[in-house]
Amino acid sequence: MRTRLGAQRIHWPRLLTVALLLAVLLLVLGCSTGDPQNTFSPEGDVAERQRDLFNLVLWPAVVILILVEGLLVYAVLRFRRRTAGELPAQVHGNTRLELAWTIAPAILLLFIAVPTVDAIIDLGRAPAAGALQVRVTGIQWRWQFEYMDIKDSEGKPLTVFDELHIPVDKEIGAHLEALDVIHSFWVPKLAGKLDVIPGRGNRMWFNATKPGTYSGQCAEFCGLGHADMRLRVVAESEEDFQAWVDDQLNGGGSAGATQGVPDLVSGGE
Amino acid sequence: MQHAPALATNTGLDNRKLLMWLFLASECLFFGSLIGAYLLYRDRSVAGPYPEDLFDIPFTSVSAFILLMSSVTMVLALAAIQRGDQHGLRVWLFTTAFLGILFVSGQAFEFTEFNREGLSLSTNLFGTTFFVLTGFHGAHVTVGVLILMSLFVMALRGRLTRAESLHVELAGLYWHFVDIVWIVIFTLVYLIQP
Amino acid sequence: MARAIEERPSAILEAMRQLREDAASYRGIWSWITTVDHKRIGIMYGVTALAFFVLGGIEALLIRLQLATPNGEVLTPDQYNRIFTMHGTTMIFLVVMPLSAAFFNLLTPLMIGARDVAFPRLNAFSYWVFLAGGLFMNASFFTGGNILQGELGAPDAGWFGYAPLTLSRFSPGEGVDFWALGLLILGVSSMAAGFNFIVTILNMRAPGMTLFRMPLFVWMTLVTSFLIVFAMPVITVALFQLLFDRLYDANFFNVDKGGTPLLWQHMFWLFGHPEVYILILPAMGIVSEVLPTFARKPLFGYPFVVFSGIAIAFMSWGVWAHHMYTTGLGAVANSAFGVSTILIAIPTGVKIFNWMATLWGGSISIKTPLLFAAGFIAMFTIGGLTGVTHSVVPSDYQQQDTYYIVAHFHQVLFGGAIFGLFAGIYYWYPKFTGKMLYEGLGQLQFWTMFIGFNVTFQPMMILGLIGMPRRIYSYPGGQGFDIWNLVATVGAFLIAFSVLVFIINVIASSRRKEKAEADPWDGRTLEWSLPSPVPPYNFKEIPTVHALDDFWHQKYAEDERGRPVPVVAGGSEEEEEEHGDGHGIHMPSPSFFPLIAATGLPIIATGLIYDPAIVAVGAAVLMVGIYGWALEPATE
Repeated sequence: MRTRLGAQRIHWPRLLTVALLLAVLLLVLGCSTGDPQNTFSPEGDVAERQRDLFNLVLWPAVVILILVEGLLVYAVLRFRRRTAGELPAQVHGNTRLELAWTIAPAILLLFIAVPTVDAIIDLGRAPAAGALQVRVTGIQWRWQFEYMDIKDSEGKPLTVFDELHIPVDKEIGAHLEALDVIHSFWVPKLAGKLDVIPGRGNRMWFNATKPGTYSGQCAEFCGLGHADMRLRVVAESEEDFQAWVDDQLNGGGSAGATQGVPDLVSGGE
Repeated sequence: MQHAPALATNTGLDNRKLLMWLFLASECLFFGSLIGAYLLYRDRSVAGPYPEDLFDIPFTSVSAFILLMSSVTMVLALAAIQRGDQHGLRVWLFTTAFLGILFVSGQAFEFTEFNREGLSLSTNLFGTTFFVLTGFHGAHVTVGVLILMSLFVMALRGRLTRAESLHVELAGLYWHFVDIVWIVIFTLVYLIQP
Repeated sequence: MARAIEERPSAILEAMRQLREDAASYRGIWSWITTVDHKRIGIMYGVTALAFFVLGGIEALLIRLQLATPNGEVLTPDQYNRIFTMHGTTMIFLVVMPLSAAFFNLLTPLMIGARDVAFPRLNAFSYWVFLAGGLFMNASFFTGGNILQGELGAPDAGWFGYAPLTLSRFSPGEGVDFWALGLLILGVSSMAAGFNFIVTILNMRAPGMTLFRMPLFVWMTLVTSFLIVFAMPVITVALFQLLFDRLYDANFFNVDKGGTPLLWQHMFWLFGHPEVYILILPAMGIVSEVLPTFARKPLFGYPFVVFSGIAIAFMSWGVWAHHMYTTGLGAVANSAFGVSTILIAIPTGVKIFNWMATLWGGSISIKTPLLFAAGFIAMFTIGGLTGVTHSVVPSDYQQQDTYYIVAHFHQVLFGGAIFGLFAGIYYWYPKFTGKMLYEGLGQLQFWTMFIGFNVTFQPMMILGLIGMPRRIYSYPGGQGFDIWNLVATVGAFLIAFSVLVFIINVIASSRRKEKAEADPWDGRTLEWSLPSPVPPYNFKEIPTVHALDDFWHQKYAEDERGRPVPVVAGGSEEEEEEHGDGHGIHMPSPSFFPLIAATGLPIIATGLIYDPAIVAVGAAVLMVGIYGWALEPATE
């Protein structure tokens, strides 16, 4: 590795730039893919699209960062005062340069804006017609899940708490509501978050593309139990999912239902 | 009230006049937000009473007219002090304040009526947004009345001469603004029903 | 008989006269309490803000101690929620804003060639109300029971106070009331200052100082002040709405009666986004003064830096809902705000490029102010770029409410605003205190603060992206969060060390025997033409201004190649032409009515929480203050 810049023999800027690069690389690689809520290792189409979009912006940003920081460090060192009475030329500006560094970023940003709007529309569409409809309700400090199309013996939707089972590769149509304060439904490996707001319904579609258990938690500050308002999404094969559903309907009732939680099903709209 | 001799300013506007204009500009944001909340929640009350059940447009029109007239008398007060007419100044200052008190009394009467008919701050969205909006406006009018009465007392003591006409002008700016806000509120809240 | 009457009250009158004389001659504590001198008010703002900085820092250390390990038990969830709420509220409203106000106060009249601000008593009022608001809000810590047993009463709903969580039903107790009322009080302070500086800048510039010959810091003061006077009313209304809901059962955010919690968010962020520019523009102004002085070159592209500041101020009104992407506003709104947010990066970039161009080709003196200014550029670039990543709406669905956002705003508020403000402190310290801060300690502070800052906050970017939400009092092990949280905590203590170094520097430098020169840095703007510290009347004679960086041009002419050449007869000696010691210059008289009026506000607020009778007392105090103020002579 060359450590000299031509005749000037400045070690620092090069070294610093490389160090910065390494640091950035380290930081990025430091995100171990084993972490259960890691947005860099998505297992759902929505999260994957979001990650790809992030990378689209991240890498150019890193390049710009290295350029700007490198230039800054270089300038401070290269133009440092060497004699006390030194007086540089009093340059006031350069209109061409101003135009250039206004227009160039604008163009660059355009390349970000277009895919952004594209993804907003795709990811914000209504759930597909055949999606598995689940009503997600946040209440201090539990998550309730109701399968709208799976009725129990009394004709009420199958209701479980804190652990949502879904078939792999099946689109889920989530209807998000809250009964008390604002919470936010977030399972990072599957999809970005969406708030549940009392008095207002939100909806999102998502899926899981690989079997597994995906952890999530409330992502909008909601009081004392906010940190503990966790949830899990279990994605399994269609057969396993059916088996689980049957088990629930026959009074298995093991998926997190407890006493002390208000009767939410009759809570109404 | 003694004041420093007016210094030459870059804009040519007296510092205090510029201050008053800036203050009124910020008040536009203040009342705009309150009016915005009212309009957002219009027709979203889950239960009554509703505006059409309660509003007495003729009554409110009279009180709006009174406030409008008070702006006229305010202008007369300013004209009086500017031409050195101390008597006129006192008469018109007092009248303006008096009309302002009449307006606020009308508001108080209206509020008590609505209250009797079941509308309070907590009844529904209409009660909340209506009382807060018109309440803040009424508070502004009341502050204006206090200012006018203070000026009136100063005038009685001979301390409000032509040299101090800026004070009356500034009070006038504030008063006219409060009046204009009422015109907006009256139109949007009372007159225009969807 | 008549003589006896004359003689009896004369002792009191004599005492009062002596007090007034003391105050006017700047002696004693009474002179500080009644001061209307912008320089003294600026110092009071600065000292108070730095005290709150230490308080907010302690709150931060408590947070970091709790989060250093998984399942931490340093704080209970209740304590944690109160402390993070107060940390954020304190840093924003009691540290960055008042520190900026300190500089507005200290510098604006000097930089425009005026003797004081347009409304000196209003200026004093702004400070006392700030102090009152800060004390009022922090008094809430004591209302929760026995504070020595860790029972805290402070607000606990976050600095952003989302409804419905902030309604009485979900936040019983007085904490949120203290928060809302405290912010209302602080809003009065900010607005009064905003009005004052707009009028001062528009109306009181020295002859020849056109708007485009004003120092850039004055431009940023003007723009920030406009943002303040237009944004504060919106949060004022929102806070009143919240208070009416809490205290009087109104329905603004009551879902059962048809209200929507989103109304709060819209109002809050309509204020909140301009607010973040209120937080950063003054520091950008400081950087724009420091860089040219330490590079010995003019600010590159001065008009463009001015216009980009104005552009940012205008655009800041059109991006607020980027704080609300995850509330489900719909594709149209999300796209619109996404695009507008992406666009606001452009004027920001313009500033950064112009600062770099200022350094380029200069003769750079690497002293503490320059280090902090360069640090600002470096850190703000990172913060700005992460901001661009947030503007990509679908990605923001992953980033929102995680530590990635926490990293972003600390990057711009600490690495940006605080660094810029420290650059200003080191730069202008000699001008207002007559002593130089120690350069060695300054460099030590910078490097430990810089390293500490990065060690604390860069790991948070990772934490956010691997799924750690914010505002959680603890996290379980096995999430991959442990190591980064520990690193961040270590960094936080390094920052604390750097603040200690600063305090030591201040104390040590106050003991220095050498007095600072008038122009220790070879500055470009008018304040450097005055002695250090600056006399009460500022300028013996109001200068006539001929150019941007007028003082520089008094010192240096330009040769044919545009290189500066020292002017032989030394322009800064001009002030020697005698007008005595400023005799005959009438300065505004000191007054205690601003303090009295200011005291009325927290009393009213206390009464609204506890007892209406106290409201009456507070109102009476306020009225006495206002009437006394209105009726006393402005100048003697």
